Amino acid sequence: MAFRVQFENNNEIGVFSKLTNSYCLVGIGGSENFYSTFESELSETIPVIHASLAGCRIIGRMSVGNKHGLLVPNSTFDTELQHLRNSLPDKVKLQRIEERLSALGNVVACNDYVALVHPDIDRETEEIIADTLNVEVFRQTIANNVLVGSYSVLSNRGALVHPNTPLSDQQELSTLLQLPLAAGTVNRGSNAVAAGMVVNDWCAFTGMDTTSTEVTVIESIFRLNDAVPSAITSSMRATLIESMT
Amino acid sequence: MSLYNFKKIAVVPTAKDFIDIMLSKTQRKTPTVVHKHYKISRIRSFYMRKIKYTQQNFHDRLSQILTEFPKLDDVHPFYADLMNVLYDKDHYKLALGQLNTAKHLIDNVSRDYLRLLKYGDSLYRCKQLKRAALGRMATIMKRQGANLTYLEQVRQHLARLPSIDPYTRTIIICGFPNVGKSSFINKITRADVEVQPYAFTTKSLYVGHTDYKYLRWQVIDTPGILDHPLEERNVIEMQAVTALAHLRACVLYFLDLSEQCGHLLDEQIKLYESIKPLFANKPLIIVANKTDIVKLDDLTSERKALLKDIEEDPNVALLEMSTITDFGVMEVKSAACEKLLTYRVDQKMRTKKVDGILNRLHVTIPEPRDNVERPPCIPDSILMKKQQLADKRKRKLERDIELEEGDDYVLDRNKHYVEIPEEERYDIIPEIWEGHNVADYIDPDIFQKLEELEREEEVREQSGMYIVPKIELDDTLREIKALAIKIREKKFILKDEARVNKQSNKPKLPRTVAAKIRNRSVTRLRSEMTELGVDMTDTDNAHFTKTKSRSRSAGPVAKRMKMDVDKRSESKNRSVSRTPRNELGVKDVAMQRRVSKLAHLAISKKVRKYGLKGEADRFIGTKKPKHLFAGKRGIGKTERR
Repeated sequence: MAFRVQFENNNEIGVFSKLTNSYCLVGIGGSENFYSTFESELSETIPVIHASLAGCRIIGRMSVGNKHGLLVPNSTFDTELQHLRNSLPDKVKLQRIEERLSALGNVVACNDYVALVHPDIDRETEEIIADTLNVEVFRQTIANNVLVGSYSVLSNRGALVHPNTPLSDQQELSTLLQLPLAAGTVNRGSNAVAAGMVVNDWCAFTGMDTTSTEVTVIESIFRLNDAVPSAITSSMRATLIESMT
Repeated sequence: MSLYNFKKIAVVPTAKDFIDIMLSKTQRKTPTVVHKHYKISRIRSFYMRKIKYTQQNFHDRLSQILTEFPKLDDVHPFYADLMNVLYDKDHYKLALGQLNTAKHLIDNVSRDYLRLLKYGDSLYRCKQLKRAALGRMATIMKRQGANLTYLEQVRQHLARLPSIDPYTRTIIICGFPNVGKSSFINKITRADVEVQPYAFTTKSLYVGHTDYKYLRWQVIDTPGILDHPLEERNVIEMQAVTALAHLRACVLYFLDLSEQCGHLLDEQIKLYESIKPLFANKPLIIVANKTDIVKLDDLTSERKALLKDIEEDPNVALLEMSTITDFGVMEVKSAACEKLLTYRVDQKMRTKKVDGILNRLHVTIPEPRDNVERPPCIPDSILMKKQQLADKRKRKLERDIELEEGDDYVLDRNKHYVEIPEEERYDIIPEIWEGHNVADYIDPDIFQKLEELEREEEVREQSGMYIVPKIELDDTLREIKALAIKIREKKFILKDEARVNKQSNKPKLPRTVAAKIRNRSVTRLRSEMTELGVDMTDTDNAHFTKTKSRSRSAGPVAKRMKMDVDKRSESKNRSVSRTPRNELGVKDVAMQRRVSKLAHLAISKKVRKYGLKGEADRFIGTKKPKHLFAGKRGIGKTERR
């Protein structure tokens, strides 16, 4: 299922939340509307955790994680780390890493098997990512953009990347990730797909501005609601052309 | 949202209002005090400012009007043509052109008078020049009266035009009057166009929006068109023609096979042929409406021959529909949308537009690079939930049963009753039975209670509770019985008497009447009791009751003679006159004493307080208290006390 949500009138929900297959982190906002949307959908299956990192609520951009682990930047307070450790399931490894590029969410994109990272990331960090998150790590750019974490969204069933990614790049990325991959937008044409949405293997949340065509693309590429990726090229094709030109 | 928004054009005032607004603005916003002993340059600049200011205002306002009204050459040809039809292009252009000229004239007047004002040598002359300048400006504006009123009407009409976006996905509905065009738009959108059973109910274009394939579609309802040459068409028809001519849309041409619209089928087809040039290069669907009356298959062969051309045309689809029964409505909508969508996509594919987004119309499927399995990780609970949802859908719903049984379907409310065995579920329980509300007698454990009662009864019966013992009467008992009968009789009589006495509606006696003579006495008691057989011999000293004196005369002798009390009591026969008031209601002497003492106390208290002479000395504290008598006239407060 894909749900449209808003964080305090802001559509960039990927900034304020982090969703994986074994936990969900939600930024602490002025009201609980945002949190409760996640809570109602997920809390029966996985823990939905109020979190802040270094006192900030932009946790989605500062941390990176999957079902095996969670990496937080060096600026994270000890109390916050303690809170996360207490709330996360035991088998999820939690690690604070010293990395110059501290917005980990922007420089790393990962699912449970593969991770794409910023080309300039530390060698040590790369190793920690591989060990903690239990993934293969590839240094990549997306549409000539080094911020791979901002411009791509991955789950174990599909990937959505920056709308300007050329077909050759798409093919390369798809082979690396071993996932069906499509280029698209969220929030009525926003390029920063990771900022506009969060997804795991069975559900997705997008910004309130996301159009119905965008939602359909998201649902089909991530195979939510029994949709299949091939719909984008077949039944949705005319609609997509109409809505984009 | 839409490209053209004519709702924001400012109101165009009439010529008179226009002048008033401008002149009063000058008056308000420029200095008003000038004296003749001022330096002449100061006086000149004072009046120059007024002229310049007025001119500027006229200029600004006229420019605003000129820019706000759409230029026919700039707007989309659809709107240009529509405005030509509705407001007459020449008239419109002329009106705006004349306003433009007026603007220049006003500028010239101001320039001339400013030049003249430089030579003004007194306050009076300067003032006259200013007056003349403003007067001429006002005259110029006054001449524009007709144009301004015309433009105001145009503005009002423009603001009410539907906001049609000429570039978006559009479906146009056209056909003869009264063939069901408006009914159809009402079916597929929420436009709520008026539908009436006479021709030309729809007199202008109407717009509604509908959804299909995640996209928004604009549906335009046009007024009916009659079959005559273009030159003879009226304004109402011309709007439809304009829409057809300029909007690149899917056209739905409506036919009325039943001919209830008042036009024969061949006329309708002739119209179709004559306006066919308007449909060129547009996806076209012919809709045969009102199939609830006549179906396509029911047509006679000669009629059918008329439609033959249309049916054979590969570019035209012929669909059946009835807006009354909803038959085919959705099919027509989706066919129209689909046709237009493919047409538009085709057009776009031909241009370079699509090249930029080709990468987004593509799903890259990975080539396997190793043999590692990367399955998705979905928790069982989610899968289970999905399964449950699927199961739920599999269940036979009431609606499925309804569809299955059709008209025979009757809602069965009893079948889901739990706790009641199936064979009893349909038993009818009467609400009222033998005058009793059945619900009052419903008790879940009635049988248990009944059983208990029966058991109790049985025990009682066994213990012999209901066997009446035979009683043998001996003498004493017999005597007692006779006595009891007498007592009962007496009781009954007493009760009866009491009742009769109570019933009497004689007036209650006043206090002044002498006490009732009592008919009970010891002697009487004795005699009656002996009569009844009671032994009363030894009761001389019995203290039966405290007997009160029957009357004052016969009372017991007082212990002490009261010399000064009632002399009247000496004679029993003397008539008793009215008792004095202070003795009314007083029971006896003791009470009399107490009462008089109380009265004396009350009076003496008052006497002491106010220093009175005695009871008769009436005292009123303040005869005319100020607060009650002081006048409060002035603002109408005499009533208030």
